[in-house]
Amino acid sequence: MDAPRQSPPAESVWADELAFLAELDDGPRPPGWRLTPRMVVTFIVGSEAELVGPQGRRRIAAKFVGDKALVERSVLTLAGTRGLLLVGEPGTAKSMLSELLAAAISGTSEQTVQGSAGTTEDQLRYGWNYALLVARGPSAEALVPSPVYTAMSAGSIVRVEEVTRCLPEVQDALVSILSDRRIAVPELGTVAHARPGFNLIATANLRDRGVSEMSSALKRRFNFETVAPIADAAVELTLVQSQAAAILARTGLPPGVDEAVLKALVTVFRDLRSGRTEEGWSVEKPSTVMSTAEAVSVATTLGLSAAYLARERDPLSELPGHLLGVVSKDDPEDRGRLLAYWDGAVKRRAEGEARLWKRLYELRTALDDA
Amino acid sequence: MTVPAALWACVSPVLIGVRHHSPACAAAMGPLLTALRPSRIFLELPPELSPWLPWLGHPELVPPVALAAAVPGGALSFYPFAVFSPELQAVRWAVENDVPVIAFDAPLTGRSVRDSETGDDRLVERLSDKLGVSDSAALWDRMVEARAPGQSAESIRRAALSFGWIMRTDDVRRARRDELRELHMRGLLDVHGREGAVAIVGSYHAAALLPEPLLWTAPDQALPEADPTTVTSLVPYSEALLDARSGYPAGIHDPALRRRLFQALSSGRPETVDDVVAEAIVAICRRVRRDGHVAGVPDAAEALRLTRDLAVLRGLPAPGRAELLEALQSALSRGDGIGRKRVLARAMEPVLVGEGTGRLASATPRSGLLPHVESLLSDLGLPGPEAPRSPVDMRLDVLRSPKDRRREVALRRLSLAGVAYGSPADGLAAGGIEALTRRWRMSWTPSTAATLAVASLRGVTLKQAASGALLARRRRLEAAEGWTAAARLTWTADAAEAGLLSATRAGLSELAGTFVLEAGLPELVGAFALVARLRRGHVAALPVDRALGIPGEIDVFELPEAVHPSLFLAAAVAAVEGLAGSERLEDVGALLEVVSALQHQPGDGPVVGTARLSQAIERLSVDGAALMQGAGAALGVRLGCARAEDFAERLGGWVDLVDNDLALRLQGALLAAGPLLSSSAALLEPLAGRVEDLPDTDFLARLVALRRGFHVLAPHARDTFLRAVAERTERRHTELVAPLVLSAEQLGRLARADLEGRAAAEAFGWTGGGAVPVRPSEATEDARPVHALSAADRWRLVLGRQRDQLQGRARRVGRALDELYGDPDSGGGQEPGFVTVREWSEELEALFGERVRQEVLGQAIGAGRGAAASELDAETVRPSVELLQQILGLRGSLSEAQLGRLRPLVARVVDELARALAVRVRPALTGVAMPRPTRRPGGPLDLPRTLRANLHTLRAGPDGPYLVPERLVFRSRGRRSMDWQVVVVVDVSGSMEPSTIYAALMSAILAAAPWIRVSFVAFDTEVVDLSEHASDPLRLLLEVKVGGGTHIAKALRHARSLVRVPRRTVVLVISDFEEGFSVDGLLAEVRALVATGARCLGLAALDDRGSARYSKAIAGQVVAAGMPVAALSPLELARWVGDQIDG
Repeated sequence: MDAPRQSPPAESVWADELAFLAELDDGPRPPGWRLTPRMVVTFIVGSEAELVGPQGRRRIAAKFVGDKALVERSVLTLAGTRGLLLVGEPGTAKSMLSELLAAAISGTSEQTVQGSAGTTEDQLRYGWNYALLVARGPSAEALVPSPVYTAMSAGSIVRVEEVTRCLPEVQDALVSILSDRRIAVPELGTVAHARPGFNLIATANLRDRGVSEMSSALKRRFNFETVAPIADAAVELTLVQSQAAAILARTGLPPGVDEAVLKALVTVFRDLRSGRTEEGWSVEKPSTVMSTAEAVSVATTLGLSAAYLARERDPLSELPGHLLGVVSKDDPEDRGRLLAYWDGAVKRRAEGEARLWKRLYELRTALDDA
Repeated sequence: MTVPAALWACVSPVLIGVRHHSPACAAAMGPLLTALRPSRIFLELPPELSPWLPWLGHPELVPPVALAAAVPGGALSFYPFAVFSPELQAVRWAVENDVPVIAFDAPLTGRSVRDSETGDDRLVERLSDKLGVSDSAALWDRMVEARAPGQSAESIRRAALSFGWIMRTDDVRRARRDELRELHMRGLLDVHGREGAVAIVGSYHAAALLPEPLLWTAPDQALPEADPTTVTSLVPYSEALLDARSGYPAGIHDPALRRRLFQALSSGRPETVDDVVAEAIVAICRRVRRDGHVAGVPDAAEALRLTRDLAVLRGLPAPGRAELLEALQSALSRGDGIGRKRVLARAMEPVLVGEGTGRLASATPRSGLLPHVESLLSDLGLPGPEAPRSPVDMRLDVLRSPKDRRREVALRRLSLAGVAYGSPADGLAAGGIEALTRRWRMSWTPSTAATLAVASLRGVTLKQAASGALLARRRRLEAAEGWTAAARLTWTADAAEAGLLSATRAGLSELAGTFVLEAGLPELVGAFALVARLRRGHVAALPVDRALGIPGEIDVFELPEAVHPSLFLAAAVAAVEGLAGSERLEDVGALLEVVSALQHQPGDGPVVGTARLSQAIERLSVDGAALMQGAGAALGVRLGCARAEDFAERLGGWVDLVDNDLALRLQGALLAAGPLLSSSAALLEPLAGRVEDLPDTDFLARLVALRRGFHVLAPHARDTFLRAVAERTERRHTELVAPLVLSAEQLGRLARADLEGRAAAEAFGWTGGGAVPVRPSEATEDARPVHALSAADRWRLVLGRQRDQLQGRARRVGRALDELYGDPDSGGGQEPGFVTVREWSEELEALFGERVRQEVLGQAIGAGRGAAASELDAETVRPSVELLQQILGLRGSLSEAQLGRLRPLVARVVDELARALAVRVRPALTGVAMPRPTRRPGGPLDLPRTLRANLHTLRAGPDGPYLVPERLVFRSRGRRSMDWQVVVVVDVSGSMEPSTIYAALMSAILAAAPWIRVSFVAFDTEVVDLSEHASDPLRLLLEVKVGGGTHIAKALRHARSLVRVPRRTVVLVISDFEEGFSVDGLLAEVRALVATGARCLGLAALDDRGSARYSKAIAGQVVAAGMPVAALSPLELARWVGDQIDG
């Protein structure tokens, strides 16, 4: 029915599972919800065994790798009177979680505002088709609803991504929406009320520079959930592997990167992110964020270059260059930190038996003269 | 998983599986025993403790209490009992109903550590997906505690037994030790009879006690017998110690909450559990509010709703501890990493942990610490209660004599536990050099017994009491925001010196954790030294050699993998960059220590490379303040990253600078590389050549600075230097004259004769010409440079040594300089000083000229000679920040009258500086923002302008004229630029810094702008609000008192209270960010300030150099918390402020 999309929304990717879960549990659901809270949790964290429903048996895939209690709290928050604010380092799958929540609860994750310094109040409340407004005067047709406005009248979940990137005065437009649950339109003399099922998920980065702090008035209207980076190295490796493979598969390519190379990649990312290596040596953290998402993109690039450019060289030799690209973004000292990591941790591993690390250490020149 | 019915149904004996400190089991215990009416009770408790059981069950006893047993040479076993301990409930029931209790666990003998209560957590890994639990304690909570409300006692018993069965099935490799204990228990069951009895055991063991045991194989060896010399005690305890976070063994999280859950459960009305949770939430919110943060009724209501809903979602009858904590975090923490969570944690502690203490029945026999210490002292041959009162002195050879080692450890522990007994009679580690022996002075006095009684509340052995005191110190410091990097280092060092293994480990992991992120250079170097000593086994109380350990008394230490000296060294290397702007000599010392630590690292294990330090030092030597440039250049040579010749050339080149620039560079270089210079002729050459070749006038102009530079060297070092220069001169003569075939001796004589001749001629006023070497180019000039001062005399003047050999004018010069830079030890020929400052001042002017005179007098003022200020004329003085710094630094030591005389001088200097600065700065502040028309939608539509812009589209419509607006014009949100407030927060904890002076000047300039209101706050550990004088820099500078500690958080709190309209407020914090209180507290305040919406800027330095001296680590965290930190010049600051206002 549809033309192929580069990145289909969660509700169409998982349409089957959502329909299955909706029929599975007929327990009480909060007004306006498609699923019961329990089924929303199951949809996101997956089920270990096959579930038996009226339409047959089905195993629900795990979509979010992380704390189940966190998901439970998030779901329940949305059933209450406060908004949900997901905070965490960049690349910790906050946006994915919010998309899944919206898809499961409201059946649509499309009501989204992307926060930026250029976001205006119009995008959170309502705007006008000014040509019509000036020509005909205020009327319902001239009003351009924002995603928030639309979600309120539909009783669904709206997502505000990167809320801290909006200017504080713009953010504060959300205060009255969250506490009164209505938007007054004085020009028309009407008030748009939120239907049951409306709530708001916002996400915010902790590390990005130049963010606008949220006012405490706004903070009080949210429950905060902190999404942590993936704690387990093996889980992260699997995730990087599968996500990179999925992206490559979408372009019809084989998942071309060697596991050993990916393992080295994930190890370097984890070391630099935590400031401490697996062996317990301390390394200096670069100021850049070393997110799992970045690791996926490096892994994907390695796969693409293997497939399209059919390099003679092994992918390992390209790794230092990619790492330098990831690390040195805003602070020139970060290159020094990466070099220090090479001279410290990589060298020590190379002194051990690991051949891969020996090879990586030999590639140090790639960092030096780049 | 199916649980065998036998476990539940067994009646020989009836099995009650428990977990220590389980409110559910404790509440079920009474009803179960009353229903069963057993003839005897088997209790899982070692037999050594059974004499205490009647006292434990005594009706007068108030829990919490603890039973303790110390097997000679073995570990200490500790059994705390709270009201919600099932065992205590059982013993109470037994005493009340006169039923015998048999302690049927295996004896403690041979037990190394307390056996873990449960198996390992592999099963939990498998269950975690299903139940969302992270360890066995959480699994128990989920399986037993959370399901208890509304359940019968019997079903609680069954749930507990099921839990034990799961743990046992999962535990494939059962510990040998456990099976031996179970064998012992089975034996006693058979001896005393199984019928009609009840066995109360950890639920894990239940299956092994069945008549037909399950999952159990009989071990083929027997346990050792109970040791009759085991010392046992029953002591009062407290809820604070019972909490697992207190560090005491066998603790549990949140005892007060469990106590109340127990009360709710045993009341028989399950709905009261919900009330307990609600009360706890309300109490916590009240405490958060009391600490001045927001937590209103909506917050409490949301937390309670979330708690209940989580319980429902998880299928639990009532919310438990996990749900409560999760909901509190979610609804109250506001996602604020450290700040808000810390507030919350502090509010939760008294509510959840509790403040209750236990009490024993009045007739309970004496036991615990006092008898233990008495016997330890007599064992070690140290004075005890029976010894004479006079103090005994003892020199302990701690590293070689085993007995002395034990004595040292005991004495350290006693003093740590707060017992008045012994004190070190000499410095324990004077000058950082490790002393091999220690002297102690000790005596047993009545206060010893009194302080021991206090200490005994913290433990039953000396070791436990000492570590209890240490833990209490930590909690106290944490509560008072005093848990700083320095405090952590001292704490860990104390723990190590007293041989407290687990505290040392905890301290070390703290050091390896946040400490590294916060500590300054000195602390990092200190931590490096401590860890290196521990590693070598040089800490007497924690030997690394296994043979030196004594079980139960001195533990053998092994440095954890993750803690290595290199960790601190690496952090110290990273902190070096923060020194760039330093003008303190101590910082050169710290740099030197880092370099030498780097060069003397332990050979094995990770080694910190020199690359990073070299890079930092190179940067210091290029961009740093003058002192750091000097030190950096010299250390670069030591590290091998700079060539010695280049350094030598730079050193020579500096001589062309003047005053501070020259003096400070020399100071840095000489401190860092003095010996190197005097021992290498090649290095010395450029500097010496330059000093000797300068014409006299230029030399004299630089002499003061040179003398100041060399003054950092100790007198004997200067003597060495002088010899090195003399040798050089001699060699030079030899090289020059050698072709003339004269012997060196002849040459020397000739040269001396020449010089003496010239000196004699000069004495008659002869001023050169003839044989004086003159350069050709200069020879044509009229004013030919004079080289009347010989090389040797020049060096004598520069170094301030051999002053008796000076003659003529040089002698006068030397005398004038000695007035300020003379050595107390006198290099011979000490001349009488000047009688009056005036005389000195006139002499200075005559010899050096006015500029140098002012410079020297300024230095004299800086050195504390207030009288010198009277010689500075307010009208003619050259205003400079340095001079102001020197005069103001003196202020504390002056009387009011003296200060009064100085006032005009200071007033003029301040005035001149402020005027000059204002000229530079003011243009950046002008410019007013108005709402501007814009095409970008955002603000309200500017209807008139839009109409005007679209008139060309006007056309006729059915109901009148009709306009199609193509171009829309909006009004941008013009910010009102009126009424801005600038809060200047200045750290005056160190010395009078240029930043402080500039801050005062800038605040006056800002205050002069009509639309800016300036608040001026100065702080050290106290905060002084000087806002009323903000427009008068003179008043500000005279009011500010320098010195004391640093409490930035407090100042920020005050600044926050000053903020009226956050959107139109700028807060400038001028500090080196070396917070003397908790860094977490600082970060919380920074976040709170940033959250108000005020624009904040941290200034590590505010002066014209652009480099700062600050704690890089803490400043980095402040930046992460939302306040940018920079080193700005006043002009840049003005531009920044202007931008904010214009914005």
